[in-house]
Amino acid sequence: MRRLVIRSIAAVGAAALLTLGTACSNEREGSTSSDSADGKGFAKDSLIGVALPAKTSENWVLAGDLFSDGLKDAGFKADVQYAGASTTVADQQAQISSMVTKGAKVIVIGATDASQLATQVSQAKEAGATVIAYDRLITNTKDVDYYIAFDNFKVGQLQGQALIDGMKAKKAKGPWTIELFSGSPDDNNSKVFFDGAMEVLKPLIDKGDIVVGSGQTDIKQTATQGWKAENAQQRMDSLLTSAYGGKKTLDGVLSPNDTLARAILTSVKGAGKAVPVVTGQDSEVESVKSIMAGEQYSTINKDTRKLVAETINMVKSVQKGDKPTINDTKSYDNGKKVVPSYLLPPVIVTKENAAEAYANDPKLAPLTK
Amino acid sequence: MSPTATTLLEMRSITKTFPGVTALAEVNLAVREGEIHAICGENGAGKSTLMKVLSGVHPHGSYTGDIVYRGEQVRFGDIRASEQAGIVIIHQELALVPGMSITENLFLGNEPRRRGAIDWKTAQRRAVELMEEVGLREDPDTLIKDIGVGKQQLVEIAKAFAKDVKLLILDEPTAALNEDDSQHLLDLLRGFRERGVTSIIISHKLNEIEAVADTITILRDGRTIESLDVRADGVNEDRIVRGMVGRELDSRFPDHTPDIGEVFFEVRDWTVRHPSSDERLVCKGSEFHVRRGEIVGFAGLMGAGRTELAMSLFGRSYGTWLSGQVFKDGEEIQLKTVSDAIRHGLAYVSEDRKSIGLNLLDDIKTSMVAAKLSKIARRRVIDPVREHQVAEEYRQSLRIKTPGVDEGVVKLSGGNQQKVVLAKWMFTDPDLLILDEPTRGIDVGAKFEIYGIIQRLVAQGKGVIVISSELPELIGLCDRIYTVFEGTITGDVARADAEPELLMKQMTATKKSPTP
Amino acid sequence: MSRITDLQKNLFGGTASNARQFGMISTLVAIVLLFQIWTDGLTLTSGNLIAVVSQYSYILILAIGMLMVIVAGHIDLSVGSVAAFTGIVVAKAMEEYSLPWPLGIVLGLLVGVLIGAWQGFWVAYIGVPAFIVTLAGMLLFRGGNQYIGNADTVPVPEGFRKIGAGFLPEVGPDTGYNNLTLLLGAAACAGVVWREWKARQTRREMNADVAPLWVTGIRLAVMLGVIVFATLRFAGGRIGTSLPISGIILIVLVIAYSHYTRNTIGGRHIYAVGGNARAAELSGVKLKRVNFLVMMNMSVLAALAGMIFVARSSASGPQDGLSWELDAIAAVFIGGAAVSGGLGTVSGSIVGGLVMALLNNGLQLEGVGSDMVQIIKGLVLLLAVAFDVYNKSQGRFSIIGTLTRPFRRDDPAEPAAPPAPASDADKAKVAG
Repeated sequence: MRRLVIRSIAAVGAAALLTLGTACSNEREGSTSSDSADGKGFAKDSLIGVALPAKTSENWVLAGDLFSDGLKDAGFKADVQYAGASTTVADQQAQISSMVTKGAKVIVIGATDASQLATQVSQAKEAGATVIAYDRLITNTKDVDYYIAFDNFKVGQLQGQALIDGMKAKKAKGPWTIELFSGSPDDNNSKVFFDGAMEVLKPLIDKGDIVVGSGQTDIKQTATQGWKAENAQQRMDSLLTSAYGGKKTLDGVLSPNDTLARAILTSVKGAGKAVPVVTGQDSEVESVKSIMAGEQYSTINKDTRKLVAETINMVKSVQKGDKPTINDTKSYDNGKKVVPSYLLPPVIVTKENAAEAYANDPKLAPLTK
Repeated sequence: MSPTATTLLEMRSITKTFPGVTALAEVNLAVREGEIHAICGENGAGKSTLMKVLSGVHPHGSYTGDIVYRGEQVRFGDIRASEQAGIVIIHQELALVPGMSITENLFLGNEPRRRGAIDWKTAQRRAVELMEEVGLREDPDTLIKDIGVGKQQLVEIAKAFAKDVKLLILDEPTAALNEDDSQHLLDLLRGFRERGVTSIIISHKLNEIEAVADTITILRDGRTIESLDVRADGVNEDRIVRGMVGRELDSRFPDHTPDIGEVFFEVRDWTVRHPSSDERLVCKGSEFHVRRGEIVGFAGLMGAGRTELAMSLFGRSYGTWLSGQVFKDGEEIQLKTVSDAIRHGLAYVSEDRKSIGLNLLDDIKTSMVAAKLSKIARRRVIDPVREHQVAEEYRQSLRIKTPGVDEGVVKLSGGNQQKVVLAKWMFTDPDLLILDEPTRGIDVGAKFEIYGIIQRLVAQGKGVIVISSELPELIGLCDRIYTVFEGTITGDVARADAEPELLMKQMTATKKSPTP
Repeated sequence: MSRITDLQKNLFGGTASNARQFGMISTLVAIVLLFQIWTDGLTLTSGNLIAVVSQYSYILILAIGMLMVIVAGHIDLSVGSVAAFTGIVVAKAMEEYSLPWPLGIVLGLLVGVLIGAWQGFWVAYIGVPAFIVTLAGMLLFRGGNQYIGNADTVPVPEGFRKIGAGFLPEVGPDTGYNNLTLLLGAAACAGVVWREWKARQTRREMNADVAPLWVTGIRLAVMLGVIVFATLRFAGGRIGTSLPISGIILIVLVIAYSHYTRNTIGGRHIYAVGGNARAAELSGVKLKRVNFLVMMNMSVLAALAGMIFVARSSASGPQDGLSWELDAIAAVFIGGAAVSGGLGTVSGSIVGGLVMALLNNGLQLEGVGSDMVQIIKGLVLLLAVAFDVYNKSQGRFSIIGTLTRPFRRDDPAEPAAPPAPASDADKAKVAG
């Protein structure tokens, strides 16, 4: 009896093994990571993956649309994904993995948290994909091929200068009282923006021409977690309560982007203070309106169209097996290697030059008239 | 009630089957207008199913047969439909919200409205009227949780009146009530009869049925056995029992020759404070002892502190312990936790099977071994074979009616659930079993069996304490009875002296009688 | 209903617990095949399977602990924050104090123990509801994460990354597969055969009906088939990949905790406390200790999950652990646990978690955006439980019931005739 059982089990088991074994195709192959690097190129209708952060700002939504259309026009198959609103990092990791599974040849990543993607990037690399870091530099991995972005240090410098210009225009002589805001600490760019701005502001602060009302000048103190408007607004609210009681005036606020700038303005208006000079970045519709209405002082025009177009050009070169155009091979060290970069110049926009700056933008141009 | 009274309700050849089981087979029931009609039968005889068919819980179409109510054939699709026709059923488990007032409960789901809002004025007025109707003297704003079970029962009945009841069905209305409250309730039913309200009462307490019912319909195994006219047929308890079990029960208690040994368990000066009130003592210097092979009864009114005494002994599961010592076999033992108590051979079968005695999600075998898992485990890993064997043994020896020990306890009748709880505690090899209301809500046949089990336990030299609100049960079963009043032990009565009058006197008196 | 039970009886061999295992595996296979078709065969590629396992192992690890918490009648909302807190503590310790990574893992588990003791203390000994304690914990440890990490991202060393992103090494002759994975698969096959054999013996000792041999044979064939298939897939991925180490950790935990909850006294006590706390207490169960241990265990597993995620992400970041608690809770409820406690199994929760994971993965492979994925996941959770509740209230065939019956402890294979009495209706309703 027992023997019979064992024998029948063994027989059935062996049969199952055989059938399944033969049915299973083995995907085992050597590492193909050299494919893209040695410039062989790939088929023209290959899949291109684009992983973007959650839809927290207009620019990401616009970029996603532009990528979808642009890649399709260029003959590629496009898979554009945004991370979920609450589980951003884990979502993006899973999305990149899925793109690798689907055999994407190039993966463009606008990172949610640029330092938590090393595993997925190396997975992509091993599967033979080229990885392009879009707008945010992916850190702690040697497997990033290219970095493409606007020159963010320049952005910071322009913001700092605009802040000074704006305050001078309102009140010719200092000392001016300001507050500083920086971006999300998990975004590599936040520091770059802030450092750029501080390069301009620091000398004046040291001289005493500019006073930071709250005394908070460290990037850790000024950070805005997750680039979230509510966090900036909360911080501004508390600053106003703690450092600007009574008649103390606030002349300017360094804000790293438009969403935060508007949150800061809301907070200041809510406290009944005079509107200070507030900088911004990204040329969001609401902020352009605000600039035209004389509330927000400046923004930065980083034309997403240009950036996406350049990225698609880069994808095309990789497809053909050519070396893409690079204009910086020194500045962007991600901790494991210096990533070859292509940097586009940003443009500062105030009420004066808005019409000119947005002349080619179908959405923004009408607002400036 | 006149003999020519018309028939209010007639249920004709009702058959209701569940997959694999016929719960009701061709059952007939005729209820005359204005009478008190009792339905008797052992658990599982089909009483509750019949009432569920009547009240629409089992909707028309799920059974066969006809229901003729007030001269018309009715087909209730749900419980609302039957309530609209004036048929209200009051279940054993009361459906009241403890944190709401009497008024709120009375009109719950049936609130008088004015312009979209609850009209509390009308509600208050009606509440006072309804409470008067059922003889409930309480402030209508009193919360349900602050009144006793007896009064809660009255609120349920008043609630039925709020719905303009024509036929009132009471399922085990006195099961949780003490003597006084039960009497009050029965009087109330008689009053309803005077006013022409018809009632159907389902009860295991045959003396009550004998006292109050006009007609008795007896069900057994899903069939109508007979319908007796109490006055005409000269019905007494034995007659009813015969109909229910289909045979004569010579005695309601099995024969038993006590073989009583030495005192082995003794409690001295046991004083316990109420868990939430600093002032109240639920046990005041209680002292008692139990001999080997002895069944000791604890008699007392509701709230006398019997359950509190038992539970505080059992690992301090109730109240705050203040003083007292416990001796077993001459040595003092510490019973600070339930595990201590189990280790020292104590077992407590609680009065409330469903809420604190059993995990209703469990199956039979899991329940039976729950209090001493270590006995069937090796290195903390449970041996399923041993578990199964143990459960099978108890199933057979206690004659638990179930297809198998894998069955959920929730599917068992009350008597069989009680046997499972007994098995659970017998499995811990106790020396002293404390049984709190061991036969509450259990039918005659099962009661008899449980008495038998108790006697087998003492025959093995164990001691058993029985707490019961039914004096005849204590008198019939126990070798000695302690009476308890307001947390104090007021008497110690030997079997020979145990008369209801004497016990009742001591159960209501503070003075302690001299110990014989 | 009876036809289904008949079928189950004939094919799966009545009530034998291994028949339940079979039911579980076949359900999973059905779900996998569904996505396999939808994604044109991408779901079952080695690469994808490996990715899914390493992506969701931390959620599944949380689901194990959450199952026990929910069975005991509690809930834990703090797991995501605890995971993030542990992650940053371990990352910082390794980065700034150059703690060797094995000690880092020990430190992480220790942090989990301490946090668990903290939460268990409030729940068990003070009696604050777990919902409140862990809601507080959610804020506390999220704040702690940001305080320690300054909302910064802290990278972790290569060695540590192994537990989240590592694979088994390539050893032995070149077979075209990862040899260690093959060995594991062989061990699993042997384990399954042994279990089946043991189960038959147990049935025989109980004097219960033993399934006919051919039934056992078919059942074994299917189970072995699945294991062999999975083994070959995991072993046949790109060179350097195998069954992920995080997957191995998960499997070990699932086996250990299944055994614990199902077969040991401690496990029984958890179900007893969740089913009826007072009854359990009066049966000698140390209520406080059970509650304490269950909450503590959850935090330890959360700490482990946090470390695995950090290892996989190669850095600890401020967004770690966000809304993990919800994923874990969803997995447990899809897996058939009751909101009111007392019901549910580890393997059921793992199935629930895998359903969610494969759904996520399949939709992502289809290029469905994360917004839609969330909507679909939400609906699936709601409908799965609602369908089950509805069918149970109708006394009809219940999908999740059938799905999880295989894992419920000692559930009778044949439902008894009458439906549950009215007083149990509310229990039954929530009993997924």
